[in-house]
Amino acid sequence: MTHLTSAELIDAMEGMLIPERAAHLAACGACRRRLDDLSSVLNEAKQVSCPEPSPLFWTHFSHRVRAAIDTEPAESRNAWPSWLRWQVLLPFGTMAMILMALMLAVPRQVATDSSENDVAVMDTPAADSADALEMLVGWLDLETAGAAAVIEPGFVEQAFLELTSEEQQELARLLRAELSREKS
Amino acid sequence: MPHESALAIAPWTLCVVTQTPLAELDDSALVAAALDGRREAFDIIVERHRRSVYQVCYRFVNNHEDASDLAQDAFVRAWKGLRSFKGQSALSTWLYRIAVNVSLNKVSAKRAPTESIETTDQFEDVRIEGAPQAILRKERAAAVRRAIASLPDKQRATLILRTYHDMSHQQIAEVLGSSVGAVKANLFHALTNLKKILGSEP
Repeated sequence: MTHLTSAELIDAMEGMLIPERAAHLAACGACRRRLDDLSSVLNEAKQVSCPEPSPLFWTHFSHRVRAAIDTEPAESRNAWPSWLRWQVLLPFGTMAMILMALMLAVPRQVATDSSENDVAVMDTPAADSADALEMLVGWLDLETAGAAAVIEPGFVEQAFLELTSEEQQELARLLRAELSREKS
Repeated sequence: MPHESALAIAPWTLCVVTQTPLAELDDSALVAAALDGRREAFDIIVERHRRSVYQVCYRFVNNHEDASDLAQDAFVRAWKGLRSFKGQSALSTWLYRIAVNVSLNKVSAKRAPTESIETTDQFEDVRIEGAPQAILRKERAAAVRRAIASLPDKQRATLILRTYHDMSHQQIAEVLGSSVGAVKANLFHALTNLKKILGSEP
């Protein structure tokens, strides 16, 4: 049987060697010597202690860390509440735009349904979609549009559910205000 | 389960965070509170982990002044990068990783190992053992420190985390961004090299 590998010697040193290899170790003097060498040098390293600073040091240390953080440039800190980050706002903005696009498209479709002109019935929604797309593209810069395209299904709903009730109410109020402004 | 990001924290978690005293919160809740603008939550994180972060830095530089500077630097970096903490590992593991990185940067820039005048045995009473034995023991400890300081970075970091911080191979792999197999190999080579260096010591 082959001698223990370096990994097996480490396992043996830490009592994690599998039984079959432990049987080899018990019978092999060379492997036992290598293991003893490793164990003795490890034990010697363990004897080297680390000094314990005075209790006053720890209080001073905490103050130092706080002071160092306070001197960090302001732009590195998070000035915005966590729920106002782009990961939250982007999905909601996208959702709002989709809602508005739908609202613009649906009334005209109803109007054309009553028309007797089949061609008009077929063409008008497409024209509306083009209008809506043009409107959306007009609103979105390339970066935002690219980011919007990678949002996974359900992400908007999940993000909405993770807001607190106050945040949800505030968002609903903003959306209602935006929609009523569009209607007028 | 550690939190994934501030975004992934459910509303009821934030309610719990705002109502529970900070000192009673676990690390992930403290991170969430700190990201939510509660600066004092990070103070609790510092208080909880300052000793272990200081000690890992000390093991690399072997003197108090540099160790305290490095530990401070590690916490400042942690504060600046708190948003990047994804919660995939424990906060302590993440802090260890930062501490190891700042320490390795320091010792790489200043390769010669330092040995301060206030050695690790400064508070020990030599009357417990005879003076000659105490001197021999101090000299041997200094030799071991020098030997560890001369190891390649990964071997040194692996040996320090395993020997002095009692971390599992898996935890060390997470800290060093390597595999468990690599950790075992580095530990083996670190011990083998240490034995060779100490064997050649006068």
